[in-house]
Amino acid sequence: MDSLEPVFNNQLKFGLTRMHYEAGERRDFLPDFIARLQHSGAQILLEDGYGSGMGYSEQDYLRSASSIRFGSAEDVFLQDYVLVLRCPPEEQIRLMQPGACLISMLHFPTRPQRVELLRSLGLEAVALDSIRDDSGRRLVENLRAVAWNGIEAAFDVLAKIYPAPGFESPDRPLIRVTLLGAGAVGMQVVQAAARYGNVALHRRLAEKGIPGVQVTTLEYDSTRHERVMRPILEATDILVDATQRPDPTRPVIANSWVGWLPEHAVLLDLSVDPYDCLANPPFVKGIEGIPQGNLDQYKFSPDDPVYQKMPACFDTTHRRHAVSCYSWPGIYPNACMEVYGRQIMPILRNILERDGLQNIRPNGRYFERAISRARLSHLTTE
Amino acid sequence: MNLQKTIGFPRMQKEVGEKRVFLPEFIQYLTTLNVSVYLEEGYGSRSGFSFDDYHQGNNAVHMCSRVEAFQQDVVIVLRSPLREEFSLLKRGSCLVSMLHFPTRSMRVQILKDLEIKAISLDSIVNDQNIRLVENMKAVAWNGLEAAFDVLEKGWPGLVRPDKEPIQALIFGTGMVGKHAGDAATKLGNIERNNQHIQDGGPGALAISVGRNVSSTPTLLEKLFRQSDILVDASQRRDPTKPLLPNEWLSWLPEHAVIADLAVDPYTLDANPCVVRGIEGIPQGNLDKYIFQPNDPDWDDTVPQGIPSKYRRTVVSCYSWPGIHPEACMHHYAIQLEPLMKTLIDKGYDNLSVNGDYFERALNRATLKTWLQTTPSPRQMRR
Repeated sequence: MDSLEPVFNNQLKFGLTRMHYEAGERRDFLPDFIARLQHSGAQILLEDGYGSGMGYSEQDYLRSASSIRFGSAEDVFLQDYVLVLRCPPEEQIRLMQPGACLISMLHFPTRPQRVELLRSLGLEAVALDSIRDDSGRRLVENLRAVAWNGIEAAFDVLAKIYPAPGFESPDRPLIRVTLLGAGAVGMQVVQAAARYGNVALHRRLAEKGIPGVQVTTLEYDSTRHERVMRPILEATDILVDATQRPDPTRPVIANSWVGWLPEHAVLLDLSVDPYDCLANPPFVKGIEGIPQGNLDQYKFSPDDPVYQKMPACFDTTHRRHAVSCYSWPGIYPNACMEVYGRQIMPILRNILERDGLQNIRPNGRYFERAISRARLSHLTTE
Repeated sequence: MNLQKTIGFPRMQKEVGEKRVFLPEFIQYLTTLNVSVYLEEGYGSRSGFSFDDYHQGNNAVHMCSRVEAFQQDVVIVLRSPLREEFSLLKRGSCLVSMLHFPTRSMRVQILKDLEIKAISLDSIVNDQNIRLVENMKAVAWNGLEAAFDVLEKGWPGLVRPDKEPIQALIFGTGMVGKHAGDAATKLGNIERNNQHIQDGGPGALAISVGRNVSSTPTLLEKLFRQSDILVDASQRRDPTKPLLPNEWLSWLPEHAVIADLAVDPYTLDANPCVVRGIEGIPQGNLDKYIFQPNDPDWDDTVPQGIPSKYRRTVVSCYSWPGIHPEACMHHYAIQLEPLMKTLIDKGYDNLSVNGDYFERALNRATLKTWLQTTPSPRQMRR
């Protein structure tokens, strides 16, 4: 593509760092995004090796945006604005200069210690997960990928272990997906599950006349009744946790209930609530006893060695094949970053057009209002 | 650039139950864009608003006749004006309304002939092809609320005689179908659901199925027999054929309620013809949206020759969001505000595919873009 040259004179300095997490975390913003950011007037420093996990070289970025530079992670954290999808570790945040701004998925409501750290360092921050429009809708999210990638992984496992007459047999019954939670993720699950999480597979099976998928959605008023849940679980092929629990110390499906599921059933964890045995009482996942996965490993058989390393503050007696990943959208990094890039670009463009976050008006235009809702300095802590 | 100086708001002359009007806050907002607003006399009166409620001492808000409201530079009306009303618009003016270009070829031709600069609200989509002006959540929630209201008359507290959860069978997993699942598990009304939970009720299950299930009667019969609510939220690929033939309705229990969210009309005289998704059910509107099996009005909207022998109570409304008019218009106003600012700032003729986020979205919804990007019937025949 043609190189897009910067159009503004007063350039804000943006640093984009890589995410140093599990090896499977390959996501970085795409060259096209960097080109547009440069075109909007940013001076950009990318961390050495940026995009290499997705197969992009420095030349790929330079071809799109000729004015960008590459440097060390330390240098990146010295820029006015640091943009990175997942929140960096504390030691890197401490490299930032007072008054600088971190733009990332910061999850203010559930990370009070992070908020405290940022404030103590005199930093400004924009939580991408808190950018909302006037009706409360998140502007930067990829819940569709959470649902579709998770469902695809679950069906991938189910297809391999499904009992006779087999997953692709026209004589098998409808696949029964039981969905816990009808919120924003849950709604995406309904559509994804009806298509096996894979449109091509759905089309192929439909053309062969193979029975489809039935998705049963349940909310809290039903899931708390053992009498209601037992027959449903006994007939479930895939059990999906897409709940948002007010009380993370109580599972929706206790481990003893997991024992009611057929042996071939697959447990899918989309909520990815963590276990915390240090909390009192301990925090437990929505489906008790399933492991927490990440981009390196997100499929677990009942005899996976990971169970030996899990803490003992919850019950893992009853096991089924499980799929769990802390970052479901990261399974397909290119597609994921294309979505995030499109969503984030108007946010950054507004910051650049206003010559910095300090000029963003809480009562300004649409995107200014949305950004203001996500600023650390506008966060009220009770 | 500010090419448009006046905005007209004619009343919607639809059924008596159509009470939706833009709210006073939205009218006041428009005056901040340096335009004068002309409201047809009596605008909002069905919802209890007087002209003073809109005027608020603001000299930019005027009362006028119906013809004058149609004669302004920009005319905004939620549902499309009638065919004969288009001639009231002045040539070169801008009409903003739900115009449904893809399915209303006759309307498109009239607008083109009259040189109207039309913007179809239902065609305003962002870069991800997501509609920016829509209220599908209200379609699902209001429809399900009506269906549960009917059931509650026979089952106080929405508890079945056998104390099992209520079952809603949902056809379609698109946007409306997804919201329908959410609404069904919450009994169509959050307040009612909270009370139900407090009373220890068993809740409701939402069973969603997609295309490859809905074409298999042997799989469907069992699901029908256990359903209390049947929801059509489908988007058919072939609207000339019903999704569910009338005789399948005989499988439903006598007490079952059919919730029609798809509201496709019967247009047997069109080529190709369009039939309803569920064969033989009537279509309602805001004046009447509940039909008992013995309703004398049943056949008013079901053409002769269409099988309708098997009947259950039907809830159907052409404009489900209009059931709660103020909430609906508050919702639309939030979505429209940034778009109106862009339209007023830029003017219809200057909307560009290379503009900012909202400009691009508006540009996609203009009649000129529709005409440029859609092949003519002759081209399609070739």
